[in-house]
Amino acid sequence: MAGQKLKVMVLDDEPIVCKRLQPSLEKLGFAVTTFTRSLEALEDIEKNQYDIVITDLKMKDIDGIRFLEEVKKRYPRSEVIVITGFATLDTAKESFKKGVFDFIAKPFKLSEIQEVVLKAAAKITGEA
Amino acid sequence: MRAMAWDGCSGEVAGRTEKGLEVEGLETVIGMGWKRIWKGLFGGKAEETGLVEMVEHFQELLDDHQSLMELMADLGEKSGGEYVFDRKYIEDSMGRMRGLLLRLAENLNLIGRNRYVGLYAVVDRILLQLEGDLRGRVALSEDMPLVVPLSESPTDHPELTGGKAEALACILQRLRFPVPDGFVVTTRAYRRFIEHNRLEARIHGWLESWNRGDMELPQVSRQIRFSILAGIVPSDVAALIKRYGEKKPSWAVRSSACGEDGQISFAGLHETVLDVSPRDLIGAYRRVLASLFSVEALSYRRDMGLLGEEAAMAVLFQEMVPARVSGVLQTLDPVEPHEDRMVFHYVAGPGRTIMEGKSRVQSRALRRSSLLDWEKAEEPLGRDSRGGREEAEWGTDDLLPPEVLNELGKWGLALERFFKQPQEIEWALDLSGRSWILQSRPLVLQGGAAEMRHDVSQLASRHPVLVKDRGTVVHAGVGAGVVFHVRKEEDLQRFPDGGVLVSPHASPWLAAVVRKASAILTEKGSSAGHLATIAREFRVPTLFGVEEACSRLRAGEVITVDTKQRVVYGGRVEELLIFELARDGSFEQSPEFRLLRRLLKRIAPLHLADPQSPDFSPQGCRTVHDVLRFAHEKAVEELMEVPRSLRHSRRLRLWELATNIPIGLRVLDLGGGIDPPSRGDKLELDRVTSLPLKSFLEGLCGRGLWSTAPAEVDMKGMMSSLTKTAAASPGLEEMAGFNLALVTKDYLNLHLRLGYHINLIDARILPGTERNHVYFRFVGGVTDITRRSRRAQLLAEILSRHDFRVEVRGDLVIARTGDRPEGEMKTILSMLGCLVAFTRQLDIELRSDDRVEDFVRHFMEIQGRSNNAAKV
Repeated sequence: MAGQKLKVMVLDDEPIVCKRLQPSLEKLGFAVTTFTRSLEALEDIEKNQYDIVITDLKMKDIDGIRFLEEVKKRYPRSEVIVITGFATLDTAKESFKKGVFDFIAKPFKLSEIQEVVLKAAAKITGEA
Repeated sequence: MRAMAWDGCSGEVAGRTEKGLEVEGLETVIGMGWKRIWKGLFGGKAEETGLVEMVEHFQELLDDHQSLMELMADLGEKSGGEYVFDRKYIEDSMGRMRGLLLRLAENLNLIGRNRYVGLYAVVDRILLQLEGDLRGRVALSEDMPLVVPLSESPTDHPELTGGKAEALACILQRLRFPVPDGFVVTTRAYRRFIEHNRLEARIHGWLESWNRGDMELPQVSRQIRFSILAGIVPSDVAALIKRYGEKKPSWAVRSSACGEDGQISFAGLHETVLDVSPRDLIGAYRRVLASLFSVEALSYRRDMGLLGEEAAMAVLFQEMVPARVSGVLQTLDPVEPHEDRMVFHYVAGPGRTIMEGKSRVQSRALRRSSLLDWEKAEEPLGRDSRGGREEAEWGTDDLLPPEVLNELGKWGLALERFFKQPQEIEWALDLSGRSWILQSRPLVLQGGAAEMRHDVSQLASRHPVLVKDRGTVVHAGVGAGVVFHVRKEEDLQRFPDGGVLVSPHASPWLAAVVRKASAILTEKGSSAGHLATIAREFRVPTLFGVEEACSRLRAGEVITVDTKQRVVYGGRVEELLIFELARDGSFEQSPEFRLLRRLLKRIAPLHLADPQSPDFSPQGCRTVHDVLRFAHEKAVEELMEVPRSLRHSRRLRLWELATNIPIGLRVLDLGGGIDPPSRGDKLELDRVTSLPLKSFLEGLCGRGLWSTAPAEVDMKGMMSSLTKTAAASPGLEEMAGFNLALVTKDYLNLHLRLGYHINLIDARILPGTERNHVYFRFVGGVTDITRRSRRAQLLAEILSRHDFRVEVRGDLVIARTGDRPEGEMKTILSMLGCLVAFTRQLDIELRSDDRVEDFVRHFMEIQGRSNNAAKV
């Protein structure tokens, strides 16, 4: 069964975001890996492919835009969901609509992100 | 002589007008707003303008009040775990709160011509404290105690009291399980000790040498420990330890370091000294402090990357319990955490023999789901080929009577529910047969052990789904138990430990059993209400607004409630419960949630309940909520002065309402509240366009509602008393019978002085829900205080059944509600109209407490009929 699970990466330098998202997505049947350091996440995607990547926008080292590009460069079919502060939501949407599956504004409900991730999963499995 | 002002509590208010006129110099400090109002009240056409401005300030104050209440509710909601937020959200919210609070204070002073300048300093003080919390300066702050009894020890300051003491404080104060008496010497005292002995730089130096490789660990550890053991405990700390220590003959002195027993386990690294007599407490204190720098503790901190951070140690002093049996309860079996099993290990005599291995350790296991003995339950053990235990391992000796096992098991599950993690609990059974909880810490499950046997994403295929996607999340979590319906207060007495509370309303009185509940579901209720606050405080998974919860969930059936996914399953979904414990951990323990809860403690509690108490002053405000309450109440009081000023006005256009009830109500329109007739000064009901007043009058004048009124309160008698003057009380004549409604299209500020009581209703109804509110204040009566209080109880009961937040002090009732859609608000106002008429003279009839209930029932019946009539 485990082989069929979709792989999700969560990248946010706030540990609380990773801590909350991991079990909440595992509950939906995803295999979840979390990172709080963007460079480590970058290193990881050299070796591992994720079906869905959830990344924060503002981070140390590499920001969400860069990370999105790096993911898409390697795995064009992976879906990327971007988390951003509420105030910067519109700017974020404007600045890089391209290639993003969806945006989520902080603070968000767990059910909101679950919904978006399930939609992304439906798109992926529908394509497969 | 005006001995009594018109709200019965503000003699000073009555005399204020004259003073204001006499003291010209005050004008410079008087806000411009009031000056205009002042001129307005006595100055011709401007009269109306001044009043309009005053009401504008009042409305702005109400708006800010509302925004602050919402912000407070929002912060409260975020503390419920459904949202993912970070520190920035908290910082931004505090910024907003600051702005709103300052404007609130300003508007109050504009309305009250700077009579409340003291409020600015209070707001500043509260904001400074919040700022301090945000910056994490709590433990250092001077207002934090050096020594505090466990029963009063704060439950949200682990950096002050350490993890162990904090957990015990929660168990004692929240769950109310027996914990031996004791006190905590806080980290503030530790810092005083370090400063007093000038140890900081030296400790730092030794640690540096070790880091550089100049010194070996054992040598560093020895140096630091010796310097602490040789240190002098500051005299104030020592005096406090002595004072508390004299109360019991023998003490256990335990470490309670920050992080210990919390996120990071320091279990067993620090020293515990047992059987300490009061005169040896200071020495034991030093020993425990020194153990912060034991070889084990230092190398552990280095391994965890914590060496750079300042270490601090709180020390817990607990009365020794002379133990007949002592042991440890693990609420999950760490070897097989997916089993429905909790495990006891224990010995005869005091607990240290377990550690020292001097006495034979016995083990027992209970089923988590039933608390039945694992041995005696049906499922055979020992045939598990994957390394399960042998059957014979679980004893059935009689060292522990079944009722003790059962009690400890219940406590264990309650602790687990509260802390949201499996627990390892040290307990003792004393010589008299009473059980005690000595300590509780999270049970650390080893990596692989927590792997799930079942996939929790497929639960719906294995368990019946009773409710799905209904209601709003008040507190996120998972709980299972027996459904128990609560409809009236008496039901509470039978509420079972670990039951699932199911109720039509989220009424505040349900709070009494929240502590025992494993989950709460109600059909209606606000996530900003009292019950929501309590549910979060006790961390009980809670959903409000679950339609048909009472009919779908049968009393007595076992269910599992997952409020994170908003699903209710039939039966006990063990794999989900264990997933929560083993994988999901406790969001409540994360730094962000702790910070938010700490801030909420300075924001949300309300201490200023009684406007008549001497504490009801700016200085009495301790929290943001207090400031809100004070500002709102005083603004209302200022506004209540208006009818007095208007009474003699010949310039303002006051309309007299033509009704079938001799209420003598005058209406002052401030914009769009009436459709003025072309002739005369009588206003027919159908010319009232102010939505709140219109709704109120519909209830007040409702026809046919009263035909079945109890004989004692027949309509005729009641209505004749409506206009009864209060001539018997000196000073009241002036206002008696003068009732005033200030209105706009969507706003009502209603002053009623009917007979001997005074009623203020302030309401706004707009199309959305966010800005809508009703404030209801009622005081006075004709009879003795007992009967008047009964009427207050009656009002409170009826209002809380309509989801008001109600406070009662003697014969004063203050109730608020808001955030409701237009339709509901209209119904509420109409109900209030009905209520005002209904309770008019009831205090005379309220000869016993039983009658309160009769009248409540009677009113609810009338309401029911009137609502039905309205529907028809």
